[in-house]
Amino acid sequence: MLRFIVRRIAWAFPTLLLVTFLVYVALRLGTNPVNSYLRSNPRASPEKIAEYKELNGLGSNYVFGYFNWLQNFLTFNWPRSIKGSREVFPALKDALANSLRLGVAATVVGVTIGLGIGMFAALHPGGRRDVTVNTAAFIGISIPPYISAVLLQLLFAVYWSRWFGETLFPTSGVYPAGHIGFNPVLMIKHMALPTIVVAIQIIAVYSRYMRSSLLDVLNSDYMRTARSKGISERRILIRHGVRNALIPIVTIAALDVGAIVGGLIITENVFDYPGMGVYFLKAFGDGDFPLMMPWMVLIVASILLFNLIADVTYAWLDPRIRLE
Amino acid sequence: MRKTKKAMKFAVGLVALSFVAAACGSGESETVSTDAPAVEAPGVSYPTALADCENVTYDYAKPESTSSGMTVTYDIAPEAVWEDGSPITVADFKGTWDAALNTPGSLSTVGYDQITSVEAGSSDKQVVATFKSVYAPYKGLFGGLIKASAVKNTADISGDFADFIPYSGRAYKMKSWSKDQVVFVPNDKYWGTDKAVVKKVVMVPKADQDTEIASIKAGEVDFIYPQYYAGITEAVAQDNITSSVQAGGDYEAFYFNQKCGPFADPIFRAAFSMSIDREALFEQIYIPISATGVLLQCGPIVPGPFCVGDEFAGSFDAGGAETLLTDNGWAKDGDGFWAKAGESAPAIRWIINTGNTRRESTQAYLIPLLQAAGFNVKADNCDAACYFQKRLPALDFDMAMYISTAPPDPAYLTGGFVCDQIPFAGNKNVGQNSQGWCNTEASDLLYAADAETDTAVRAANIKAVLRLMAQDHVLLPLFQFPKSGFWRTDKVGGPVEGELKNYTAFINFHQWTDVDGDGQIVIGAEQWPECLNPITECANSSWMVWTTAFPVSPGVWATTNDGDYVITNLVTGEPVVTVL
Repeated sequence: MLRFIVRRIAWAFPTLLLVTFLVYVALRLGTNPVNSYLRSNPRASPEKIAEYKELNGLGSNYVFGYFNWLQNFLTFNWPRSIKGSREVFPALKDALANSLRLGVAATVVGVTIGLGIGMFAALHPGGRRDVTVNTAAFIGISIPPYISAVLLQLLFAVYWSRWFGETLFPTSGVYPAGHIGFNPVLMIKHMALPTIVVAIQIIAVYSRYMRSSLLDVLNSDYMRTARSKGISERRILIRHGVRNALIPIVTIAALDVGAIVGGLIITENVFDYPGMGVYFLKAFGDGDFPLMMPWMVLIVASILLFNLIADVTYAWLDPRIRLE
Repeated sequence: MRKTKKAMKFAVGLVALSFVAAACGSGESETVSTDAPAVEAPGVSYPTALADCENVTYDYAKPESTSSGMTVTYDIAPEAVWEDGSPITVADFKGTWDAALNTPGSLSTVGYDQITSVEAGSSDKQVVATFKSVYAPYKGLFGGLIKASAVKNTADISGDFADFIPYSGRAYKMKSWSKDQVVFVPNDKYWGTDKAVVKKVVMVPKADQDTEIASIKAGEVDFIYPQYYAGITEAVAQDNITSSVQAGGDYEAFYFNQKCGPFADPIFRAAFSMSIDREALFEQIYIPISATGVLLQCGPIVPGPFCVGDEFAGSFDAGGAETLLTDNGWAKDGDGFWAKAGESAPAIRWIINTGNTRRESTQAYLIPLLQAAGFNVKADNCDAACYFQKRLPALDFDMAMYISTAPPDPAYLTGGFVCDQIPFAGNKNVGQNSQGWCNTEASDLLYAADAETDTAVRAANIKAVLRLMAQDHVLLPLFQFPKSGFWRTDKVGGPVEGELKNYTAFINFHQWTDVDGDGQIVIGAEQWPECLNPITECANSSWMVWTTAFPVSPGVWATTNDGDYVITNLVTGEPVVTVL
């Protein structure tokens, strides 16, 4: 296992280099960073333009330019954003923290409830509760996040304040206006609605995963053997059924968490939640190369990392699998 | 082993592909490309014209005034101090004059360039400003003082106040500013009797009007000042929300950049202008806002003593536009767009601020009509900060549509329309003539108006300028735009309605009361600035000055809701004007 992990980490570096290089080429070709810079700084002097090109590795040769950018990136000599000339690292760090908070909370809530509901449905397949769960899951998957987001805002903020005098949950932001500093209670309150929106989708999907995975396991030969040996149904379910049903689901979950690092664009936009999705949307809209490249590196790295975690978790859960 | 071989082959192939891509990108360094696709509007030409714009010069010399000079003496209130207790003195007046006049990128030097000296009178608390000629609109000067000691060099404050204004000579001072909010707390040293009522005032940006409305209905903000549109009152309607819609000095218009680009050609500009049916546009876009509204005909000014009301009447003449173009060698190309012989049809970049639904609707309505008329118009939009603080001051557009927030005195026309207020590198990008319009006769008339104390003569000069604007197709006026405020009566009280149509908008928020007892008033801002410098292009944005500069900068004169000037408590009495 250790050898596998070390080899995967060793492969991750060239993969990261290659993918970020491709991203660098794609951004240069697709967004014309120099034009974008001039749009935001139309009075930039030739010296400023040259400095921008130098710091961002926008020289004539793409390979040398990429390594020039990489050198600045690795030595933390990150160029400032083209709009407002702001430092990139604090903005990226805050966006990542906000997205991780939201993503992890929504995933934990969504996966926990989804798995529970999936188990509930799988125990009586074809029955009334199975049909109810399936229908609810289809509805949950079908409702786009921007619809559920607006509906929740209306219900818990607008109408709630009309009925009860004040909102139950805020409609936007990380903290209420005027707040300075860290307050976990206020933060959780502001995260409530976006977490529910994301969790709805996760619950719907994972309930379906768990239901089908558990049904497969419950109908397998070794489960029949276990029953024939007189083991209680409850013990069979928990010690054998659920554990084996979780194997494929855990790997999917690990990949999903990796994807969350990229931000929940629609949800964050509707709730004006300053996460990685909003960060990227704004950066891409402005063609802000200094903001986009570190974001891309972070996404690629997180996907590689969570792929590795998924593989290792899979091997750990299923002793039949040997990673070489 | 087989798997490893396959993986290696794949990896090698991918690397090879990437080097091919890299080789395709080598050879030429990236430069501004006329054909480079925009992120928002593929196919739109980008401003190589900016490089050409730098070479444009104007053969204009401001006329020497025949009038004698004048002095204006200000007696600063003895108790007037900054937020740290240091007195407001002649040094601050001098620093403000120096900054406005000499800072590279100063938005306007008009008026300050008439001052030859700012000196102490009988003491540091008496300021004597000497003008080289009579300057009628002197009340528009020193309306927002800069604290001289807050900057290293008053002759160039372009690098200061990027994201914070540390001084205050008003009821509130800025505690913090970020892209998410600005927080004001009471200025303990403020000497006025109108002290800040509430302990904290917060202004927060709201991404768009829908978010703004949802926020006030949910009680997250106490007050909003949205750009009015048809249906907004119904959208915001709620028992605990009150609204007020008033007509002030705001007006919306189309503006054409004539410094460079397609509208530098007066024939093409005239034909384009004549092809826009303002009456039909008004019916489509503005009647839903105000059923009793009328199309603005004056020009860049609201109806009043300086406007006849017919300067721009009859501007639409589609047939005349076609004749004008064909008589001057233009013909429609294969795509149906007007092109001069041997040249390709010019692309016209129309800029508005993204997220403004009404302007986006105007583009959606008008662009197809203009294209059918033979004009290759493309939307080329960006957010409000980019639009008002960067591209407009840099003349990086061909056609623009925006609302101007005009002060009571028409002296703003001088800063916006004279030849020597066109910003370019040669004059250190000074000026607010974002149209790049240079008509020497109009410039002379505007400068003459500023030196004229006879109201009737002054009005005649202004009206003549407006006719010249119509003749030169500088802009197309559209609508005197109403100002609207909405607030939660269960959260904020006091004179909220009092200054809504003032040039300085909701400037009296220091007198509002906190009804719900949460210790703060929260104001939702429809636009959010990128930078806070009160002298440079940053100040081109109304929301920047409303949310930052106006609340903290003391001034000699304040504007009123009725479009007048009144002295403030910064001075002990009316400044004394002496004609030399």
